[in-house]
Amino acid sequence: MSLKLLWIQCGGCGGDTWSFFNAESPNVTELFSSLDVELLWHPSISIRSPNNLKTINEDLLSGARELDVLCVEGSILRGPGGTGRYDEIFGKPKKDLVASLANRARYILAIGTCASYGGIGANTEIEATGMQFLREEKGGFLGEEFTSASGMPVINLPGCPCHCDVVVGTLIAIGSGAQLELDEYNTPVEWYGMMVHQGCTRNEYHEYRVEERKFGEKGCMFFHLGCHGPLVRGPCNKTLWNNRSSKTRVGVPCFGCTRPDFPQQYPFFQTRNIEGIPIELPEGISRAHYMAYKGMAAAAAPKRLKTRKTGI
Amino acid sequence: MTPVEIFTLVSQMKQKKIHILPVNRVEGDLEIRIEVENNRVCDAWSAGIMYRGFENLLIGRAVLDGLVLTPRICGICSTSHLKAAAKALDMFFRVKIPDNAVRIRNITLIAEKIQNDIRHAFMLFMADFTNPAYQKHSLYDEAARRYQPLTGETTAAVVRETKRILEIIAILGGQWPHSSFMVPGGVVCVPSANDLAQCLFLIRNFRKWFESRVLGCPIERWLEVKSKADLDVWLEEAESHANAELGFYLRFAKEAGLEKIGRGCGNFISFGSLDLPNGTGVKRGTKNRQFLKPGFFHKLEPRPFDQKKITEDVSHSWFEAGEGGQHPFDGETRPYASGKESGKYSWAKAPRYDAMPAETGPLAEMVVASNPLFIDFIRQDGPSVFTRELARLIRPAYLIPLMEQWLEDTVCCHEEFYQDHRKKENGKGYGLLEAPRGALGHWVKIKDAKIQKYQIITPTAWNASPRDASGFRGPCEEAIVGTEIKDLNNPIEVDHIIRSFDPCLVCTVHAIDAR
Repeated sequence: MSLKLLWIQCGGCGGDTWSFFNAESPNVTELFSSLDVELLWHPSISIRSPNNLKTINEDLLSGARELDVLCVEGSILRGPGGTGRYDEIFGKPKKDLVASLANRARYILAIGTCASYGGIGANTEIEATGMQFLREEKGGFLGEEFTSASGMPVINLPGCPCHCDVVVGTLIAIGSGAQLELDEYNTPVEWYGMMVHQGCTRNEYHEYRVEERKFGEKGCMFFHLGCHGPLVRGPCNKTLWNNRSSKTRVGVPCFGCTRPDFPQQYPFFQTRNIEGIPIELPEGISRAHYMAYKGMAAAAAPKRLKTRKTGI
Repeated sequence: MTPVEIFTLVSQMKQKKIHILPVNRVEGDLEIRIEVENNRVCDAWSAGIMYRGFENLLIGRAVLDGLVLTPRICGICSTSHLKAAAKALDMFFRVKIPDNAVRIRNITLIAEKIQNDIRHAFMLFMADFTNPAYQKHSLYDEAARRYQPLTGETTAAVVRETKRILEIIAILGGQWPHSSFMVPGGVVCVPSANDLAQCLFLIRNFRKWFESRVLGCPIERWLEVKSKADLDVWLEEAESHANAELGFYLRFAKEAGLEKIGRGCGNFISFGSLDLPNGTGVKRGTKNRQFLKPGFFHKLEPRPFDQKKITEDVSHSWFEAGEGGQHPFDGETRPYASGKESGKYSWAKAPRYDAMPAETGPLAEMVVASNPLFIDFIRQDGPSVFTRELARLIRPAYLIPLMEQWLEDTVCCHEEFYQDHRKKENGKGYGLLEAPRGALGHWVKIKDAKIQKYQIITPTAWNASPRDASGFRGPCEEAIVGTEIKDLNNPIEVDHIIRSFDPCLVCTVHAIDAR
């Protein structure tokens, strides 16, 4: 039986769609054909007029059509003043259409941080929210108690953008009926059950606290350049970007884009610290032990690291 | 295609009907209103119907934060926004970036442009050749075989090849889209010889595909095409030319009459492209050290370019403002959702150069750079859907050799990729460049080490602009007016015109996503 899929874009940049097109094995066309996806609508792919989307929605409401997977990209815009007028379709707030589609879908995927948690526009004049979270708080657009027709809550696939392998893997799990274990933010443990830092080629620098203070210097960026790798969950160094690399590997700090509070309200590219020790430490760590450990590690750092004689 | 809905008969005059056309396969859906009399468009309004508030959320943030936030404006040209943001801060800090950083910035921008040109041409534009409106076109079956969404032979190849060229950005910048590897002073990466060799391998492979599948000839042969007459000769010269995508486009477009529609306003603007490093094998250059010069082209004549002549007008946009157009350093973004009141109809502002609307994009880039083939087209026929899309389709032929050269230069140049600079707390800067869709500018003012003002003018703001206070229509609106529509239930002509501008409404950031 075909998997009926509808992808709608709301308050976002379209980056999750183009990130999805990075998928390699399988790529998007291979994935759709292997899962027998019937693509009811995608704004960048569909050949038909957007008016068709209105017909599809009417068919879903009347029961003439079914919807297996609703993919939502971008945040739900409620501004100004709760009206939703900052994002319209067919002369009406887009959020009304999303609510209607959500009520008919078997599974709902919030693709990207904006759809998951509100992201870029959360707590700004556009009053953006995620589908079932507003930043860390449960509720969001559909409410804390909402479940889709399958009994699942909205499955959050955060990241700015969301990594293509996460979307591909989630669709395969749904298509094959596999169990998707979710954590407290309703994100699949498979991709969000590890820190971004895991697998980073700079881990040895982190281990011995050999720090990067200036761009382009080799070293760990956690202590000075605001890298969130050890603090934030995500698969960036497990399943590489564009099959090649990751931001932290090339020397761009992790900005924590998978986290409910992205974008952070304090400056990027610098680490908030007290006496050289970051204010924010990895989840559940004992500050005193961590400081002692890092002090000893720095003293034990091998010369090849201190002189940056490594291949990263 | 479902029937276009006729919302209201607003016009008093008999026979005139207003049609509302939401548009997909643009980045973000766009809503175009057209007024039609006897199947002829007599007026048009291009409306951005989403506001994302990017400029305002930057205010009060730290100096470097634009490098993280502005790429998120657009999912298909994030590297261009990053470069504009970095250039604005280079100017603010008054830092001269090392040649290697110039090259890496150019190489990654080129990769993004090529990706966009190819994806737009085949996945967004030529997908329309499979529209039932062309059932009687002699090449309809072949078009369907090539361009059917997701399953077409060409479409599938484009999905494969475009993501491979983006690997270059990941090798140098970590990921695509949405990285922040360009910073004031250069780039953060220090690519190894092996990294650069991998990039060279990727671009050379892409060149092979582009030559065999898209051009049907070596790039060098294509670059000899310098006039309309040359183009005719080229098409007839070999079967491989006629059968490749470019040849197919020429044949399909001719029968479809694409050279007859979508003329536009006739003004072109380009912000200039690709800063030239010292010591490069790339010979061509201009006085201001860019590969392509910036410029404004009015009534077939080039005019000197000065960014001070850029203003944004909000008389027909849902923003509050003072009198007249404002230069971006003075501009403000105060949303005012007034509905239909006072003639406002879009979340896009109306950028103007010297008080005139201007078209931007690959065609404008070619015209301003005095490319002989496109100058010949403009002189003989004026701009059209056909020339606009042709410029996009063949732009990689100009970009691929540049990228190869700069990669080779970087391998041989053992210099820095980043230049540190002094702290600075007050000042301003701007970054202008040619993004995939044309002229992109960021203007930033910094006060007490915080962003005091950030204004962005995107290519689509130029092209899909609404009217201004003098009543001048935006280029896309102007291009639609006068078009004969064969079937009002399937106005393919209007679709072609709009998509020939490759509108990116997520980008039109104040922030519209004319969705």
